Amino acid sequence: MRTLLTEVQQIEQHLLQGHEPGDALVFEAKMILDYELREKASLQKQAYGFISFYGRRQLKQELEAVHRQLFTSPKHSSFRERIWKLFGTK
Amino acid sequence: METTVLQNAALEREELFIGLYKKVFPAVARYVARRGGTFDDAKDVFQDAVAVYYELVLTNADAVQTSPQGYIMGVAKHLWSKRFNDGLRNVPLDGNGFDEAEEEEKNLLFDKLTTLMATAGVKCMQLLKAFYYDKLPVKSLMGEFAYHSEHSATVQKYKCLDKLRTEVKQRALHYEDFID
Repeated sequence: MRTLLTEVQQIEQHLLQGHEPGDALVFEAKMILDYELREKASLQKQAYGFISFYGRRQLKQELEAVHRQLFTSPKHSSFRERIWKLFGTK
Repeated sequence: METTVLQNAALEREELFIGLYKKVFPAVARYVARRGGTFDDAKDVFQDAVAVYYELVLTNADAVQTSPQGYIMGVAKHLWSKRFNDGLRNVPLDGNGFDEAEEEEKNLLFDKLTTLMATAGVKCMQLLKAFYYDKLPVKSLMGEFAYHSEHSATVQKYKCLDKLRTEVKQRALHYEDFID
């Protein structure tokens, strides 16, 4: 397990933080020689992409909730009317 | 009831978004309305611009050289102008992945994996999102996820990442679209 996690960490460093130039070369050479490592790095990159998409989607849901709050709650009625005026609606 | 780190972070975001709505949305709405756009157009470009701003500030706060208002207004104008000039309403800001058709496709993939994560690892996804997307420090997440040390939280983070990686492989899902 420890070895596996070290590998996940090393791939992360390569993909997100960047190795020192010498280490980066060594890591790239390892990937050329090791198909499995190359595949794991590619899957990990996709996993980061997924996390980012997951986060963005949740962010948009939060923005939508704020929008609903501002455009329905009596507390924000003056703000709402100010906006609606711009579009000629009430 | 004690609020947790994630709840606090969510409340802070809510406060931030309400503030941005109050400060910037009127200007975006005026800009869009004067150019024949609808209320929903204004909402779309504004929310996309806020999402771009949020992600950029988290990645590199120094990248925003102007005020939050100025930055969001600039992105919103750019988004609107692209949509208006192309005669389309849903053209994304290049590279930011807000295209509607693409979004729909992503949603399908997303639903598949969300279903999977709902049974296999909601906690993992929360941890990964908090760390990689919201950039919350591992230390602050220790209590939230009941880890005894920063080290065990970091180990768990990598275990979760490995789990997600395995699921991606097993489901043979192609996530190139998720990668910016």
